[in-house]
Amino acid sequence: MKELQKFAYPVFFVVMAVLPHMLDDRWQAVAITFLIFSVVALSQDIILGKSGMFNMGQALFFGMGAYTTAILSNEYGWSIIATIPLAIIIPALFGILLAGPIVHLRGDYLLVVTIGFNIVFVQVLQNNLGGVTGGPNGIFGLDSLSFLGYDLMSQISVYYFAFIVLLLTLWVMHNLAGSKPGRAMHYLREDQLAAESIGINTRVYKIFAFGLGAGIAGLAGTVFAVQYSAVSPEAFEFIQSVLFFSIVLVGGSSVPGVLLGVFVMFVLPEIFREFATWRYFIFGFAMIAAMIMRPRGIWPATFGKIPKFLIKENNHGA
Amino acid sequence: MDTFLQQLANGLTIGSMFALVALGYTMVYGVMRLINFAHGDMVAASAFVGLTIYTQVMGQATSLVAVVAIFLLTAVAMAIVGIILERVAYRPLREAPRLSAVVSALGASLVIQNGIMLIWGPRMRIFPELVPQVYWDFGGVVISMIQVIILVLSLVLMVALYLFVEKTRIGAAIRASSIDQDAARLMGINVNSVIALIFIIGSSLGAVGGLFIGLYYRGITFNMGWQYGLYAFIAAILGGIGNIPGAMLGGMLLGLFNAFIAGYVSSTWADAFTFILLILILIVRPTGILGERVAEKV
Repeated sequence: MKELQKFAYPVFFVVMAVLPHMLDDRWQAVAITFLIFSVVALSQDIILGKSGMFNMGQALFFGMGAYTTAILSNEYGWSIIATIPLAIIIPALFGILLAGPIVHLRGDYLLVVTIGFNIVFVQVLQNNLGGVTGGPNGIFGLDSLSFLGYDLMSQISVYYFAFIVLLLTLWVMHNLAGSKPGRAMHYLREDQLAAESIGINTRVYKIFAFGLGAGIAGLAGTVFAVQYSAVSPEAFEFIQSVLFFSIVLVGGSSVPGVLLGVFVMFVLPEIFREFATWRYFIFGFAMIAAMIMRPRGIWPATFGKIPKFLIKENNHGA
Repeated sequence: MDTFLQQLANGLTIGSMFALVALGYTMVYGVMRLINFAHGDMVAASAFVGLTIYTQVMGQATSLVAVVAIFLLTAVAMAIVGIILERVAYRPLREAPRLSAVVSALGASLVIQNGIMLIWGPRMRIFPELVPQVYWDFGGVVISMIQVIILVLSLVLMVALYLFVEKTRIGAAIRASSIDQDAARLMGINVNSVIALIFIIGSSLGAVGGLFIGLYYRGITFNMGWQYGLYAFIAAILGGIGNIPGAMLGGMLLGLFNAFIAGYVSSTWADAFTFILLILILIVRPTGILGERVAEKV
């Protein structure tokens, strides 16, 4: 498995790096969407998969990043690149502030409250609070990407922007897995009581997970705003959060699993256009079947370097 | 004062529909510790099934017998769908991790919602006028016959369910299964039958709720299940999920709250205010208004 990964990851990166040159415009757009939604799904994985918190409001942070970029660029004339720090910091701060009072809630309650945050957020956008969100139509006509005086208008440059963001996310997640917060999050997912009793401040790490996941989703939001040069409330409805939630769990909270989930959910429907109306009907059955056959996801995550004989089969998140 | 009384009447009507649907959520959650995300879509489906029974089976008759028959047939049809749902999507996952069952429920929700769209089409359909449009004017407060029927019938069903669960032997089996399934099994209770029964009761109450939604709002769409389902689920949580009187109380409170927000503030903010209320109540009472504090299973 380890050997396969050593081999598979470079191949994946090389393929993704040359991919846009082999695609026409439409498929480039599909590939960019794949990259963006992969980043959001991975950020959801930090909160849901790695830390075990039932978050069903990830589209909120994604949308907050996108709107931050759109508003700063359109209302205040910032260049897109300059909005990136705030598009990460604002969602991350909101993630921390919103998570603070609710992380102690039991699983299902947390799920409903995060749905609630998402719905309140969309309603705020639609009602044009503060007169900057553009109401139900959103904001359109964003500037294109420019960096050090170069105008990066073409779709290929947006692709590489999205690709760099995905690489950054993978790098953060790789480092997280071996770090102190990453281990703490893993323990609190496995058994919160045990984690507390060995001195892990679960509350701090839960809020940390929300902040980190929100920040990464916010960055993906910037890329989204650049790709469509527009943002509107319906792109961040909570049904999107439901999709990200399902992708992580069906995929199995590992990087290949999550990417596979994003591919199935967002790229396959583009390939089989004629099934467009049947799309969710089939996905629904696929979700049920996947969970019955592989309750821990299609490609379950493994953690750390625990010897095989020490691993006891148990029900995660039960 | 007129606005107040009018919104009180509207709120009680909406609230009793929420409560009927919330009972389905709360009973399934009580026994299986599972949010049945498909329940809202079952409610939506029942409005469409009722519409088809009205046009195809009843030949568009609106006599009292025909209306009662529509309600009964829809409830039976949805009860059958409920049993199938439980068999296919939930029973194989009874021992699996909690989140797997949640994903399966979301999948079932997508299947039912899009099944409605594939059968009845994506456009809004108009629910038939099964009840004559009679209005009574009480000094500025207008109450329709539909509202009275919804309120009275919901209360009757809720009281009947409460008595059934509290006073009968089968009700005792339901309560025992919700406290501890393994212990209930040791006492000779067939937990599988109890769960099937809960899906029958929850789905048929949801079917009545769905028909009420059709009667009251008239326009029915394939994706309305999420909207009403979410509200009903919030009602169940407000009252304390797993708790039958809690679902009734939560439904009524939520209906009144919504009606007063629409009457005094603005209906464009109704969702936001509802969720802010929910979040505040959960921060103060994490298990809902009537919910008991239970130790988390380790």
